Amino acid sequence: METLLEIKGLTTEFVTEAGAAKAVDGVSFEIGKQETVGLVGESGCGKSVTALSIMRLVQYPPGRISAGSVMMDGMDLLKLPEKQMRRVRGNDISIVFQEPLSSLNPVFTCGEQIRETIALHQKMGRKESREKAVEMLGLVKIPDPAKRYGNYPHQMSGGMRQRVMIAMALSCQPRLLIADEPSTALDVSVQAQIIELLLDLKEKMGMSVLLITHDLAVVAQMADRVVVMYAGVVVEQAPIDSLFADPAHPYTEGLIASIPKLGARMDRLQVIPGNVPDPLRLPAGCRFSDRCPKRQERCLKQEPPMFSIAGGRLSRCWLREGT
Amino acid sequence: MTETAFQQANRGCWSGGWVRFRKNRTGMAGAVIVVILYLMAVFAPMLTPYDPVSQGPLPEMRHNAPGWSHPLGTDKFGRDVLARVLYGSRISLAISFLSVSLSVILGALAGAAAGYAGGWIDAVIMRVVDALMAIPRLFLLLTCIALFSNSVPLVIILLGATGWMATARLVRGQVLSLRRQDFVVAAESLGAGGRRIIFRHLIPNTLTVMIISATLRIGGIILTEASLSFLGLGVPQPIPSWGRMVFEGREVLLGAWWVSTFPGLAIIATVIGYNLLGDGLKESFDPVHFS
Repeated sequence: METLLEIKGLTTEFVTEAGAAKAVDGVSFEIGKQETVGLVGESGCGKSVTALSIMRLVQYPPGRISAGSVMMDGMDLLKLPEKQMRRVRGNDISIVFQEPLSSLNPVFTCGEQIRETIALHQKMGRKESREKAVEMLGLVKIPDPAKRYGNYPHQMSGGMRQRVMIAMALSCQPRLLIADEPSTALDVSVQAQIIELLLDLKEKMGMSVLLITHDLAVVAQMADRVVVMYAGVVVEQAPIDSLFADPAHPYTEGLIASIPKLGARMDRLQVIPGNVPDPLRLPAGCRFSDRCPKRQERCLKQEPPMFSIAGGRLSRCWLREGT
Repeated sequence: MTETAFQQANRGCWSGGWVRFRKNRTGMAGAVIVVILYLMAVFAPMLTPYDPVSQGPLPEMRHNAPGWSHPLGTDKFGRDVLARVLYGSRISLAISFLSVSLSVILGALAGAAAGYAGGWIDAVIMRVVDALMAIPRLFLLLTCIALFSNSVPLVIILLGATGWMATARLVRGQVLSLRRQDFVVAAESLGAGGRRIIFRHLIPNTLTVMIISATLRIGGIILTEASLSFLGLGVPQPIPSWGRMVFEGREVLLGAWWVSTFPGLAIIATVIGYNLLGDGLKESFDPVHFS
């Protein structure tokens, strides 16, 4: 598969009084053309910071991208002048955030905000861009788009607002859509609709998607390949089927085990004990060692490198050494 | 007429505030006072047959007490006090409105630039604000008026140029809290640049707060203009100005009390009207007050 975006050794740190916390620490992965990559992990493991770093939207101070490269069309996005980067945003790469409630400007109508994004990137007159905006509203399956164009964000439901956000993000046909927990803030039934819509639009527009989520069910539904992150590093990369069939990292196993299964009687929900470690106080060896059920002596002392294993998979676990 | 929930949901983003405002008694009282004052200013020639600047035959017209022909009496030069109060409202209202508008525009631009850019730009703008705020305003105004000959446009510009600092602080604070809001980051993620972020996303979202603070400040500006005129440095003679009329009447306060009292009452009514209006707007539109 042809590569669209190649992230190499991406490191983003936040300078705090206690020192520089590396929220993203040497993350590398690729996104192929028209591929959907799921980026999975618990809250606070660096997924969203990775996304913001790709877009160069990490707030400075305190955040700073300190190393790595993000290659697209032979250019390093991290080295582009801000003006050129602004053209990449929205045009080549777009992002949909988690909170559709606060991601729209409350004082302008939804349609106007879509229209503005279109006018910003494409040389279009007011009338033409307005028509395009109505068309986008129809594309994200908002009923009666011409009428809804004049609605303010507070007049729409959460699901509708997320559709508006998606319409805005897709209005200039980006090649990569980053969806940062696009359905997390919505009702379960609406979540399914949004995921379905994203799948449908991805097919229609032939774009790549980087789907950030903590919900493996969503990943199973959408992604071709999965990147699992833990405490700022990638711990496993695998095609979707082999990830569920044979997880190559104890953390992934834990994530899969903690999905509640319908029909199975359980007294307690399965959880991974403990929390993601403080990036300022990482364990000496493997970052997952203090929570890992398969921990060995070595895991506490030495940080495992990324091992390549069969089937084009990667795992950062000593158990997979030489397999 | 009561509205259905559906109609309420379909109003624009500010109309919720209008509904609250219409129920706000003090705010409506303020609005009525302010509207009456503007109507007085506009229709002054129809409300009095007298000219505010032409003098009556002296000395028989000097300091006539209020009566049928001159409801509010006459002043030292035999001019009708009612006519001067009515025409004076034009000056006071125009000066206060224009200079507050000017200071709001200046303050919004400076505050938004400081809050959005951050770093040294923020530091420089805010230190200038601190420095200007440290100088007593009247002193600043007197110095400037002493340097140039005073005229109505000069008074407007000076009042505007010395009054923008509070707005700058207010807007900067608002912008600081707005700029990390999701919709601003979302706009940036779609390729919007600094100018677009400031004018489309930041300033429109501070507008309510700015209008409220401007309304509350108009009262203060009218008082400042009156004090300038009282000191003889406001609008030049013979343009009728409330402050100047109070000043001229002070020598005869015991004998011809009406010369100072009526323009003074007009000042009080205007300031109270604007303050009530501002409070009402604040209670109806400021998110802190109704949520």
